[in-house]
Amino acid sequence: MVKPLVGPSIEVNGELRVADVDSTMPLALFLRDVLNLRGTKIGCGNGECGACTVLMDGRAVCSCLIPLGRARGRKIRTIESLGNPKALHPLQAILVEKGAFQCGFCTPGVMMSLLALLESNPVPDEAEVRTALQGNLCRCTGYVKLLEATMTYIWERGHEP
Amino acid sequence: MNREFQFVGMPRPQIEGPDKVTGRAVYTHDLTRPGMLHGAVLRSPHAHARIRQIDLSAARAMPGVAVVVVGTDFPDRRYVNAGPQYADRHAMARGKVRFVGEEVAAVAAETSAQAQAAVSAISIDYEVLPAVLDAEAAQAADAPAIHDKPGLPRNVAQESIADFGGIDAAFAAATHIVEGTFEHGIVAPVCLETNGALAVFDPQTGNMDIWAPTQAPFFVRKEVAYVLDLDPEHVRVRSVAIGGGFGGKSQSPEPIAIAAMLSKLAGRPVRILLNRQEEFLSGKSDHAKKMRVRSAVAADGTIIGRHTEFWVDNGAYTHMGPAYISAVRQRTCNLYRVGAAGFDGKLVHTNKVSGGSYRGMGAPQIIWAIETQMDEIAEKLGRDKLDYRIEVANRAGDQTPQGWNISTCALTECLAEAGRRIGWHEKKNSMPLNRGIGFAAMINPSVGLLYAEGNFACVSIDLKDDGRLRVGTQSADCGTSQNTVLAQFVAEELNLTPDQVDVLHMDTKETPADLGSAASRVTFVSGNAAIKTAKAFRAELTRRLACLWSVPADDIMFADGISSFGTDNARRIDLADAAAQVGTFRVEERYDVDMPRPDPKTGYGDYAATYGFGAQAAEVEVDPTTGHVSVLKVVVVQDIGRVINPLALDGQMHGGVVQGIGMALREEVVFDGGVPINASLITYRAPRIIDTPVIETAYIETDDPSGPYGAKAGGEHAINPTPAAIANAVAQATGKRFRKLPITAADVLCALEEERSLPIKPWIRPYNMEIATARALYPKILFPGLKKLGAAVGRKPRPANGHDYERPSDLEDALVALGRPNRKVKIMAGGTDLQVGLRQGVYAADSVVDISDLSDLKGIMIGDGVIRIGAATTISELTEHEDLLRMHPMLSDGLAKIATRQIRNVATIAGDLAQEKRCWFFRSGAQCYKAGGVSCPCYAVLGDNRHHSVMGAGRCAAPCVADAAPILTALDASVVIADYAGERRVPMTNFYRWSGETVVATNEIITAIEVPRPNVAHTQAFEKHAGWDGDFADASVAVHLAWQEDRVIKARISLGAVAPLPVRAKSAERALAGSWLTDSAVRAAAEMVIAGALPLSDNGYKCNLIVNLTERALRKNRDQRA
Repeated sequence: MVKPLVGPSIEVNGELRVADVDSTMPLALFLRDVLNLRGTKIGCGNGECGACTVLMDGRAVCSCLIPLGRARGRKIRTIESLGNPKALHPLQAILVEKGAFQCGFCTPGVMMSLLALLESNPVPDEAEVRTALQGNLCRCTGYVKLLEATMTYIWERGHEP
Repeated sequence: MNREFQFVGMPRPQIEGPDKVTGRAVYTHDLTRPGMLHGAVLRSPHAHARIRQIDLSAARAMPGVAVVVVGTDFPDRRYVNAGPQYADRHAMARGKVRFVGEEVAAVAAETSAQAQAAVSAISIDYEVLPAVLDAEAAQAADAPAIHDKPGLPRNVAQESIADFGGIDAAFAAATHIVEGTFEHGIVAPVCLETNGALAVFDPQTGNMDIWAPTQAPFFVRKEVAYVLDLDPEHVRVRSVAIGGGFGGKSQSPEPIAIAAMLSKLAGRPVRILLNRQEEFLSGKSDHAKKMRVRSAVAADGTIIGRHTEFWVDNGAYTHMGPAYISAVRQRTCNLYRVGAAGFDGKLVHTNKVSGGSYRGMGAPQIIWAIETQMDEIAEKLGRDKLDYRIEVANRAGDQTPQGWNISTCALTECLAEAGRRIGWHEKKNSMPLNRGIGFAAMINPSVGLLYAEGNFACVSIDLKDDGRLRVGTQSADCGTSQNTVLAQFVAEELNLTPDQVDVLHMDTKETPADLGSAASRVTFVSGNAAIKTAKAFRAELTRRLACLWSVPADDIMFADGISSFGTDNARRIDLADAAAQVGTFRVEERYDVDMPRPDPKTGYGDYAATYGFGAQAAEVEVDPTTGHVSVLKVVVVQDIGRVINPLALDGQMHGGVVQGIGMALREEVVFDGGVPINASLITYRAPRIIDTPVIETAYIETDDPSGPYGAKAGGEHAINPTPAAIANAVAQATGKRFRKLPITAADVLCALEEERSLPIKPWIRPYNMEIATARALYPKILFPGLKKLGAAVGRKPRPANGHDYERPSDLEDALVALGRPNRKVKIMAGGTDLQVGLRQGVYAADSVVDISDLSDLKGIMIGDGVIRIGAATTISELTEHEDLLRMHPMLSDGLAKIATRQIRNVATIAGDLAQEKRCWFFRSGAQCYKAGGVSCPCYAVLGDNRHHSVMGAGRCAAPCVADAAPILTALDASVVIADYAGERRVPMTNFYRWSGETVVATNEIITAIEVPRPNVAHTQAFEKHAGWDGDFADASVAVHLAWQEDRVIKARISLGAVAPLPVRAKSAERALAGSWLTDSAVRAAAEMVIAGALPLSDNGYKCNLIVNLTERALRKNRDQRA
């Protein structure tokens, strides 16, 4: 059987992307260096901090631990698929308003973890939010306002007229 | 100051918020330039060695390499850091290396991989010198000399001795003397963004542009210009987003200077980004220290004197050590009323990473020592610990023995309020078992004088064409909202909305000089400068309009962005029109903390214009089974003058508290022979979201006359009393005092179980005699001998040269790939261990075969008698499977405790079982038995072995930490293993060899796990203890019981993380068969599991832990049955 050596085609934020690069390259580097999607951050490169979290087929994964070869044929979503500074996603808006982050380096990864959670479980309780964010290290906020903002968002969404 | 504010006191979200939350904010990591080279640094593997020779020829010849530099390529100049008298560090090592991780050589190449490869090709001949790693030992006359510093005792960088007010007389007059010795290790800042730099040198102009995450562009510019011998006018630090600071980005900029040098030599842009391990090895961490505190107390409780002796571990080079010594001293006698104060402090060099200025600058730990003693004094006096503190707290108008004049001070109110909010007086006589409440307070200079030559800030304001104002500051905003706060100040002063104000930070060409963001100084110092500049802006605008309109300047009004003269509509103009008519312009003002400096010899005298105060109360619960401390609630009450931005300030308080929890209970860099062995974000335990308690903040505003609109500093306030408050709460909960930070669960458990002896009975396993004998011979004979032998003949790690990747379409394909001759092939399932291991060099492979989506290996099939789980089924898929949860809840619950959501989403059940050992010596690259083979020693025997095996460990003490292993063993599961010829089934009890390796051969693949379906009444429970649920276990136990009526008929008990493989506790299993599980039967069976153990020096707690966890798991089984 003939195996394609290179040239994975990956759906990133709804677009099919092809690139002739090494299949062992971590997805995080492909996103950042090849596709110039630098919203995905790298804090450790070993799956320990969660800054590089993206969605792969709807699940939160550390993109530093996904070899490009494995991403082939899958759907990837990154922070760039959400709002932009002029038109924030409502969850992004509430994180800003509530001071849920400080330096912002962990924030794209946190957003993607929350997105994965809320897409599979629209009304999680606080314990479920904590479980979902256990893999996202934040050194600035102590997570207090992050939890507060997330729970506010969930509550408000559940009480929309 | 009595006035109504528009924006001061209002919660303002961060100006940069929308950019950050969308991933658009640009950090140094995100920058590239056309033609940019990638830099990599070669670091010393030795704690202390002479560099005999460096051979760069191979590296220079490597593909893609542009330039290679070593220390002697730089001018012979040292970083100035804390002042010329302390300058002891070159930009890169020259002649000698003094800590593991010191920069020895650097390469710039076309790609990052090429740079790494070239660095590996550099060959250095070292003469290894004896190293000294302990600040106390380093002072011995025969200790190895790290530097030649004339005029000071050996390895001492600074001595700080003083007596304010007659300390000897105070002790002579004392009724009570309370004393204690306290120590702590090194805490790391752990910024999510690692250090790095992009340097762009223009050979035509000689300009050096630098983008780097630094708290202090002013110092970067000064130091880089100096060590590279460039004209400072040519060096420009540029604006960029910064991913956290906490002091970790405030000192001499090694990666920055190295990137600059590489760029200068190559004539091209060069970017260096440190990886996480490098960040731990070379970053600016806290200092370790040892403190001996003695208090002289009169019969009425007056503290008539306090003497503090302390040694600060400076590390190899002096960065912030002298300032640190001063910061520690300040906390000993200025918070509570003390009659006389004496100090004897030493800053001592060791062969460890250099200390920096991590948040709090040593205050949190000295406050812990002082506040522990305050509790003990209150106990001795029979006083309530809160009331006593309030009685002796400093008040406005006090002068301290160090000569500090306390102006505004709400310390007593802060203490009382903290007590009220935590409910002390209601709760204190009825505390539930294992609960405790602790108090602590703090004083912080607002703002401590950073440098004798001055503490100043400058701020500029530009009027732009579009009528917007741009505030310029060199104090870099690392995420603390200080840009937002400066905009608030300017808007408030000019009666604009903050939205009309932009802020440019850092840029040393576009913004005026400022010492930077450190020591909680920006709101206070730069804030005062911003107000002053705003006033100047108004004056300049008015002056220009007065000329234009030919009216007196004093008669021009300026409000809401409109300048006007009376009601004259022709003389009414907004800022954009003003810019068009009078021109754009810039004003710039300088603010100095203008006050006499403390005596340079003794340190006597005020250290700041004013002081901030705060008190905290913490409530904790201790789990007596594991020693785990849960912080339930922290109350923070602060006197920070006036609150400018409550949203930002709360954020500072919350972050400080949670960092303080880490410092109190978990965080410490662990060294082995000078090598940091927990240099990763799994093994270094920074708090995760699960650790976050309820945090309540309150502010008692004092309106300080020296502060901007009455504000004091705040950034470090909340971390400072946190470890102390927690430690005092733990003391109340346990009845034990701890004299070392962090207070780990192991420490607590040992203290709680001090009096209980366990029937460990090592003699029942005859091989323990051999092992005990070998261990006795380790220090003098076996370890040094094997280390030498292993270095000579041991298996060498294979350099990571990359590997092929295959994604086969079915199992047969995968087996073919596995069987290719002369290729080292590794199977990758989730890859969460394998890829990290390949990067760490613990695995080697020519080819990786990714089986993660082979349908033959996926899925859960519930058969009549057996549940078959495909080997490549992810942990998440297992934990989400409802039938499985019903049949074997222990499997679902237990696997949910593996790692994090992101890891569970890709990691597989077979991968968990087959993962490589997590021993921190092995993972740090030690040439140990596991890495190098039989000729090499086990580093755990003499090193820090708190996580290692307590039983069954022979040549290798690394435990099996796969959570699935004990669970599947207790469920009598089997592993199905296939090769080209067919399948075989291996019961879990035979799956691991004694050393913990699996029985899977190199040409085999695990295809499935088979778990028997329960066919009788049964119960099961899995108990695990780790730093946090997802962390690797320190001990775990799976208990599976079959029942008939109320009696156990069959028991399976399997222990995890205490031995190289999961261990069945067979004697306990036998004892339980036929048992009714009474309390005494449960405890007796639990104690049996530890029989035959042979713990190492630091892991005895695991014996208690595994017994207690077994007891708990048995009780849970019994509860389920009931």
